[in-house]
Amino acid sequence: MKKFLALVLSLAMVLSLAACGGNKAPAEDTKPAETDEPAPAEATQSIDLWVYPVGGWGQEDNVKALTDAFTAETGIEVKVEYLAYADGDDKVNTAITGKNQPDLIMEGPERLVANWGAKGYMVDLSDMLDDTDKSELIAAALTPCINAEGKMYEYPMCMTAHCMAVNLDAFKAAGADQYLDLENRTWSTENFKKAVAALYDHFGGTVAAVYCKGQGGDQGTRALINNMYGGAYTNADHTAYTWDDPKNVQAIEELLAMDGIAFDASLEGGDEIAKFYQGVLKMAFCWNSAQQINPNNANTGEGKTVTGEEIVYMNFPTPDGSPAELCGGIWGFGIFDKGDAARIDAAKQFIKFMCDSAHTKDAVSTSTFFPARTAAEGTDLSKVSDNVMLNEYAALMVPNMGDYYNVIKGWAAQRTEWWNMLQEIGNGADINETIAARMANANAAAQG
Amino acid sequence: MAKQPRSTMSRALVRRETISGYMFLLPSLIFFLGFVIIPMFICIYTSLTSANMNDPGSFVGFQNFMDLFHDKTFMMSLKNTFLIVIVSVPTVCAFSLWVSSAIYKMKGPALSAFRCIFYLPVVTGSVAVTVVWKWMFDNYTGLFNAVLKGSGVIKDNINFLGTPGIAIWCIILILFTTSVGQPIVLYVSALGNVDQSLVEAAEVDGATNMQVFWKIKWPQIMPTTLYILVITTINSFQCFALIQLLTQGGSDTNTVMYYIYYTAFKLTEQAGHFGYANAMGVILAIFIGLLSALQFRLAKEK
Repeated sequence: MKKFLALVLSLAMVLSLAACGGNKAPAEDTKPAETDEPAPAEATQSIDLWVYPVGGWGQEDNVKALTDAFTAETGIEVKVEYLAYADGDDKVNTAITGKNQPDLIMEGPERLVANWGAKGYMVDLSDMLDDTDKSELIAAALTPCINAEGKMYEYPMCMTAHCMAVNLDAFKAAGADQYLDLENRTWSTENFKKAVAALYDHFGGTVAAVYCKGQGGDQGTRALINNMYGGAYTNADHTAYTWDDPKNVQAIEELLAMDGIAFDASLEGGDEIAKFYQGVLKMAFCWNSAQQINPNNANTGEGKTVTGEEIVYMNFPTPDGSPAELCGGIWGFGIFDKGDAARIDAAKQFIKFMCDSAHTKDAVSTSTFFPARTAAEGTDLSKVSDNVMLNEYAALMVPNMGDYYNVIKGWAAQRTEWWNMLQEIGNGADINETIAARMANANAAAQG
Repeated sequence: MAKQPRSTMSRALVRRETISGYMFLLPSLIFFLGFVIIPMFICIYTSLTSANMNDPGSFVGFQNFMDLFHDKTFMMSLKNTFLIVIVSVPTVCAFSLWVSSAIYKMKGPALSAFRCIFYLPVVTGSVAVTVVWKWMFDNYTGLFNAVLKGSGVIKDNINFLGTPGIAIWCIILILFTTSVGQPIVLYVSALGNVDQSLVEAAEVDGATNMQVFWKIKWPQIMPTTLYILVITTINSFQCFALIQLLTQGGSDTNTVMYYIYYTAFKLTEQAGHFGYANAMGVILAIFIGLLSALQFRLAKEK
């Protein structure tokens, strides 16, 4: 009896192991073919899509409506996985290493073109562009999606210009609203400094943070420092970082010296937004149209803090108060090259559906950003939303999108150098030496 | 002659039992080989290459190891890791022994209550625990700043997690609270199993409480102490989640474990980043092995 029991138990354990690994076989179907030649194109019924939280595309309910519509039209099912910026890159990189990357991914050129595309993981989508597409796509959105060799690793769908925001009620209470040009949403660096001083005198403590805990939302600190005195982040041909531009150094020195501004190593972009939304900070340097329409993703009302104070989006301050050069966000889809022609074809159908069809309007408005093209298959996209704020934002901010330098090599590595540089400067390190050392590391990464 | 049949039967029985034993071990052995032993050898091999993601790279010998010791970030991570181990291991052991000594004679609900209190941070998800600590340490609205400021101890808020020199101690404190639970439970059990006849005999002979503890109880709980020392050392060396969730290696809190992850999965554009990260893993394993061996040796001598 004992022997029988032992045998049964052993078999049960071994079988349970087999059962645990039993779902491996079907998964093999989705693995890339190990041959040099792509597999013959056959109809595929299911594709995988991984999305970063690009505005409303981070919310499952919104995306499901779009993917359901795609499935209804094509019969192709879309399995969506929602990534977070905190660890999304890790998941994708791990998936690439394990050769189980998704068919489609939604993000921007810094990842799709300059990183995964440059390493040869992506499918060239240039065959999806015809002359009509080239005329409809906005050049500022299309150019970063194509690399120097003419390969297109991202098909752009939507775009925005990242800006900053102020708590207008707090500004009024401190008498700092006089420094804002609310009609054009612009202000000068001198007025910015006066506003910070007024806010500090009124509220005390930190009124705005040069957040530097990590890379999250670093476009805000880059844009602030570059715009204050017109400094550049990279050279014109995007081959080297130029953080030691004297105009950048001046901006950093002045920010460091300002009462009310903290170089805060306990916050990154998302934390800063939360503090701004709570009313703790009076300015946010990490902002865009999606945040304006739904601050802190808290669903408590457009353009309002948690306590109902009015949020106003603004350009970053510039020396003469002209519109700033805003960092852009260009989001679209890329296809991972898994060697399966059928899956690539299905993924291209998905891209066509979302980026260049009658459904593009819905796909773009879901993002709460702006279309990367003026029209799609006869549909006018000049006005995708009835929302007044979004249309104002499109008129006031999107045209200010500056040079899209994110496609420079070594982008991921330089982000680490940037926030570490800000931390060290905030902790009292010599400004010029720190910038020089960190920039040298970033440039080493840019040289590959 | 009479022994022969019995011996043959015994060998057959032993063989059958051995086979049964290995059959039971087999599932675990598969996992152990697949997820520990084989990856360990892959790690050692990869550390000698310039491997990147999706690229096995070429053999570079000990170049990665030589580069490591010129890498300021790695040296800082190593220093922080040792600081965490040196502070955390003795304090965890001493505190858990002290608490266990105080509570192990308690009966029923009181003992269970203390066990629950100290074990709660262990069974609570590390992310949840860390997020709560993060709120308490918050620079703007945190509990600690509110209490310290409210009581007049500080004038301006302290940026606990954003200030080098403070952040690492905050992490050590959190690590301490999440590490004492298991040692306390183990010590309570070990102290309860100490041979009472020896304790009573010593007391009859006039031994003081301290003498009873050091001469009778301490030697008997030494295996437990050794286990706690080794486990706490390994956990401290592998401090990762707290760094990831609280500082991302900033404010001078980088540890070797976090730097391994960062190099392997964030610095994907850096040539040879997989090989380099694996070299760090090998160094970390060597240090853990050496320290554990030292602890075994000292415990054996005792």
